[in-house]
Amino acid sequence: MAEEVKKQRPPLDPNSAKARLGKIAAEAYSSAQEAKARGEMVGWCSSNFPVEIPETLGLAVVYPENQAAGIAARGAGERMCEISEADGYSNDICAYARISLAYAKVKSAPEQDMPQPDFLLCCNNICNCMIKWYENLSKDLNIPMIMIDIPFNPDYEVSDAELAYVRDQFWAAIHQLEELTGKKWSEEKYKEVMEISGRTSRAWLAATACARYEPSPFNGFDLLNHMAVMVTARGKLEAAEAMEKLLSEYEENHEKGVSTFRTEEKYRIMFEGIACWPWLRVTSTGLKSRGINMVTTIYADAFGFIYEDFDDMCRAYCKVPNAINLEYARDKRVKLAKDNKVEGLLVHTNRSCKLWSGFMYEMSRQIGEECNIPVASFDGDQADPRNFSEAQYDTRVQGLMEIMEARK
Amino acid sequence: MSVQEMNLQELLDCFHEVAHDPGKQMKKYLDEGKKVVLVAPVYTPEEVIHSMGMVPMGAWGGDIQLNEAKKYFPAFICSIMQSIVELGTKGVYDGASAIVIPSLCDSLKVLGQNWKYAVKDIPFIPMTYPQNRKPAFGRTFTKAGYERVAADLEKATGIKFEEDKLPASIDVYNAHNAAMRAVSEKLASHPEITNQQRSDIFKSATFMLKEEHTELVNALLAALDKAGASAKKTIRIMTSGILADAPDLLTILDENNMQIVADDVAAESRQYRTDTPDGDKAPLERLADKFAETDNCSVLYDVEKKRVDKIVEDAKKADAKGVLVLLTKFCDPEEFDYPLIKRACSAADLPCVLIEIDRQMVNYEQARTAIETFKDLLA
Repeated sequence: MAEEVKKQRPPLDPNSAKARLGKIAAEAYSSAQEAKARGEMVGWCSSNFPVEIPETLGLAVVYPENQAAGIAARGAGERMCEISEADGYSNDICAYARISLAYAKVKSAPEQDMPQPDFLLCCNNICNCMIKWYENLSKDLNIPMIMIDIPFNPDYEVSDAELAYVRDQFWAAIHQLEELTGKKWSEEKYKEVMEISGRTSRAWLAATACARYEPSPFNGFDLLNHMAVMVTARGKLEAAEAMEKLLSEYEENHEKGVSTFRTEEKYRIMFEGIACWPWLRVTSTGLKSRGINMVTTIYADAFGFIYEDFDDMCRAYCKVPNAINLEYARDKRVKLAKDNKVEGLLVHTNRSCKLWSGFMYEMSRQIGEECNIPVASFDGDQADPRNFSEAQYDTRVQGLMEIMEARK
Repeated sequence: MSVQEMNLQELLDCFHEVAHDPGKQMKKYLDEGKKVVLVAPVYTPEEVIHSMGMVPMGAWGGDIQLNEAKKYFPAFICSIMQSIVELGTKGVYDGASAIVIPSLCDSLKVLGQNWKYAVKDIPFIPMTYPQNRKPAFGRTFTKAGYERVAADLEKATGIKFEEDKLPASIDVYNAHNAAMRAVSEKLASHPEITNQQRSDIFKSATFMLKEEHTELVNALLAALDKAGASAKKTIRIMTSGILADAPDLLTILDENNMQIVADDVAAESRQYRTDTPDGDKAPLERLADKFAETDNCSVLYDVEKKRVDKIVEDAKKADAKGVLVLLTKFCDPEEFDYPLIKRACSAADLPCVLIEIDRQMVNYEQARTAIETFKDLLA
């Protein structure tokens, strides 16, 4: 194993991308709380709901998936899951949903509080589990639910029929929200949001593409944290500016030959799946201590939405990772693996996410063959700490490393 | 022997034979020169397949050990999907022209993707349904889904889809729905019919042409009237879940003198509640209207959770004394509904018990204990 070199870290520069992105992520909660205090309506929003809609309408929204990840990362996943389980929810259900349903009931979690919702914005382009979760929130809290259904696309391309269906729903959602909140859709504002969102996305994609450099100028685990801003704030100007700053820092790191991966980069891998938030340090250290940098993940381009107009935006939301067929999903990953010169694939078989994990065995076999790289998987969970074994993780990562070493 | 000449027992035996030997049924159709198309759960547009002169045959998996399927699915995907792939890899479905798989839950989405690589000889045809199925844009999208299925079937079989043949098939399916609703209601007043026999009647429908099954069911209804109801006293219950066909489980219910008098089971009554409406619209639009009007199911968007109220309502209407939830392990649509069902039953003073089941269950002793406790509760 590579020796970890401990370096004295300087205090965080408030103008650094990391500080600015952290501030934006934190403000996503505080600004919603302030809106609530002013008497404005606040929504709970699923992570791949078209954020352009609430942003253009000027609605305050918060993201239960982000909250659940935060709660899990701060050690309270099990406590919250158990609250839902006591109400009859199976422990096989997505842990984000269990945490969120528990929060809607107890309305407090010091690990990450957020305002209670007046409406719900649901989009199932990541899973149908999302529909069930939000239905129950809507029923329990007696609040309206706006549902945009983006079906799983069995084909490589988005059909005209799907585009028309999704476009009509976007407009229906906009009109429902106008009626509910009294806010008005403005084409001018939408264009501004679209432009900023594109700017943020371009910077994000360019920053993550810096992984092509050897060594990579960043630790791939950084992406998992910065992604929160892409999810919640990509339509905001400060997000665009912070992402551009991130890009310039990564380019600068490359020029100086430094990296936020603070040890020798001996191996480069792609990571598949949502982070194991309750075990973030363990999963990160297990890689870093061996000199393995997770340089890329499908997250890297999943939240980079670049589009030209409203229809193009609809298409972009039809192409998020969990809404696409195996072949398209595979090809996107193969491109990432090749562009970033990865030497191995580590797959998180995520107990919480049936859709993401359900055809991953076949897809990862195909990626391994296409890229001629070894594949290892481990069992875990995005938020329930009980579904992870440190010993299994360690063994699998060690095995992957040994194969990568033998191929050097 | 013609169906009309069969007595009650012979009819029940016939249902049992079909339900327990679908392979024989499939071979019979293939030997007759018919093409067979597999239909995965749920709400697959069988009418489209039927109108093309082919036999839609249910593929709901089987109670078998999983081996090959484990190469494709992690352990936490529902065993219905896994056993469908297992049966496919074992060649059980050989001879089928295609499989149509709707994408109404996450595990069904996964099934379609894995099927393409696990069972390469039987083409996968996706049926992509909208969840926002009631507005005009939803109905239009449903119709586009049906057109795509028809086009893929044409490619797989060489048989042309002709929309003007669809109304006759719609009539066949509506008549079958009516017969199945009638038999469910009739059986509630016939405690001498066992739960296994009831299950056979529903399960055999999956493997037969619906016009043939309707004829048998109508004959059964007449035979039941002729025989009259027995005076046997049973404990009346309602079942809810995706499947309720495990023989061991049904036997335990029979041994405990429990009678299923109504069900909210996806493989049973849920699929027969909604008819295709009459009217002047084009046949495919009528079929899309049927899906739009289909409700009260865990895999269909239901923000008001009307399904939960319907379970209580149906149980009361059938004079069921309790609700037995048979939860298919790892089925999250059902798992999300359960706490609300439990709450609604409790508010209606209706005992409700949960038993987790799957297609690999070999030991039913825990289920027996739960059922015995349920019986005590109802007594």
